[in-house]
Amino acid sequence: MTGRNLKGISKYKKIYAAVISIFVFLCIWQLAVMFTDVGIVMVGPIEVIKLFFVSMVKPIGHDTIQMHIVWSLSRVMTGFVIGSALGVVLGILMGWFRPMNALFRPIYEIIRPIPPIAWIPLSIVWFGIGEPSKYFIIFLAAFSAITMNAFAGVRAVDPELIGAARMLGANNRQVFTTIVLPSCVPHIFAGLQIAIGSSWATVVAAEMVRASQGVGWVIIRGQDSNSTVQIMVGIVAVGIVGFALAVLMRWIEAKLCAWNVRGR
Amino acid sequence: MSKEMIICDNVSKTFETSRGDVNVIGNVSLTVNENELLVLFGPGQCGKSTLLNCMSGLERVTTGSVTINGRTIDSPGPDRGVVYQRTALFPWLTVMGNVEYGPKVRGMSKSERREKAQYYINLVGLEGFENSYPNQLSGGMQQRVGIARAYCNEPDVLFMDEPFGHLDAQTRYLMQEDLIKIWEKEKRTVVFVTNNIEEAVYLADRIAVLTNCPTTVKTEYEINLPRPRDYIDPEFLRLREEISSVVDKAL
Repeated sequence: MTGRNLKGISKYKKIYAAVISIFVFLCIWQLAVMFTDVGIVMVGPIEVIKLFFVSMVKPIGHDTIQMHIVWSLSRVMTGFVIGSALGVVLGILMGWFRPMNALFRPIYEIIRPIPPIAWIPLSIVWFGIGEPSKYFIIFLAAFSAITMNAFAGVRAVDPELIGAARMLGANNRQVFTTIVLPSCVPHIFAGLQIAIGSSWATVVAAEMVRASQGVGWVIIRGQDSNSTVQIMVGIVAVGIVGFALAVLMRWIEAKLCAWNVRGR
Repeated sequence: MSKEMIICDNVSKTFETSRGDVNVIGNVSLTVNENELLVLFGPGQCGKSTLLNCMSGLERVTTGSVTINGRTIDSPGPDRGVVYQRTALFPWLTVMGNVEYGPKVRGMSKSERREKAQYYINLVGLEGFENSYPNQLSGGMQQRVGIARAYCNEPDVLFMDEPFGHLDAQTRYLMQEDLIKIWEKEKRTVVFVTNNIEEAVYLADRIAVLTNCPTTVKTEYEINLPRPRDYIDPEFLRLREEISSVVDKAL
């Protein structure tokens, strides 16, 4: 029953409901800050939103808030693109060629559970305090999620489809390029979805440790200068951009995987 | 009079499993003539599909041999077409992409294979759906794509593994009727697996009745009824009755 009711809700009604729910949340927040003790440790949404817009023209540190976002995004994209590319290649190779799996899987399985931020001190030692050390951390965050998913994708290829392709005359190379690769695309997208989320979370952590710009830096700088409102501006920016990245990934997936049920 | 197309000579198949060897095909000797529609009919889970897979080359026989057109079969190959129960269509390819897949991997030029694929798409009645993806089609239409894809490689023999098993009764009748029309227009040697006696009598030139696992050929029936056949014709019903009484009960 519930399922049918939910399905019946149109796109516009959903947006409408989202706007109302956020508005009500902000109202309660504002009222709580104004009339209860919450106000001692929290600033209200009006103040946060005000500073957010002010910081779009008046810099925090050297940059406006949108430039901080661009800084963070550029770090994420560099690490994410390199990590994804290598992850897809390694995952597929491990999935398709058993010797590759036997060789790389053990190392990968030990590195995988280490949270990317645990590498921050080492990466500073190896790559210095500049940009490369941040790329490295984000690379690790993206790489492990995608390798696992690409690997699982290859392993999940329907053997009947491989049989059908061979029956139709495909050789080994053609089976790989025309059956194995396309059928693991949905898995790879699931991995990219997880990877973009953890990359974004990781960049914030990396910038909180060592940076002079970026949204993570905005948050940590807010703490140093005792400005709760600046911390909140940073957090809001992290939330909005993270949400936008997830929506963008889903949109790309729906475009590229129209054939797949997941994408519909 | 007609040429022997497929010869199964003392074929047996044993699977090695963790719980020991499982003998699925006992000892089957069977010939299929050129352009004959042979139905393998037997109870569920009796090894019909395994026998078909041995004939198509998807599985290797344990003992004995399968020859098609004089060549021993030991691996999959494009001289044989297979229509699968679960369709096995490539979901990321359109109807056109699926049907032209065989000629494409075998290196046929684009214009040539497009023309050929279009011919078979029209033959199975899917004109206008060339650019649809399989998940946009009904079960019956998906199986038509499967038939067109198998035909488009122009194989010597076609293997059909309960292709209509998942369809609703109404669609199933329609597909049986259309399959005969397609086959009469483009004659091929067909081996068709089913556990539905009505389907068997409707389609077959000859029915090989298989026993329970490990399967062997119990008996064979020539079906000489004129086509198109009538499901309630007295002779049709008599054959149906007779063959039903011969077949082992499924476990």
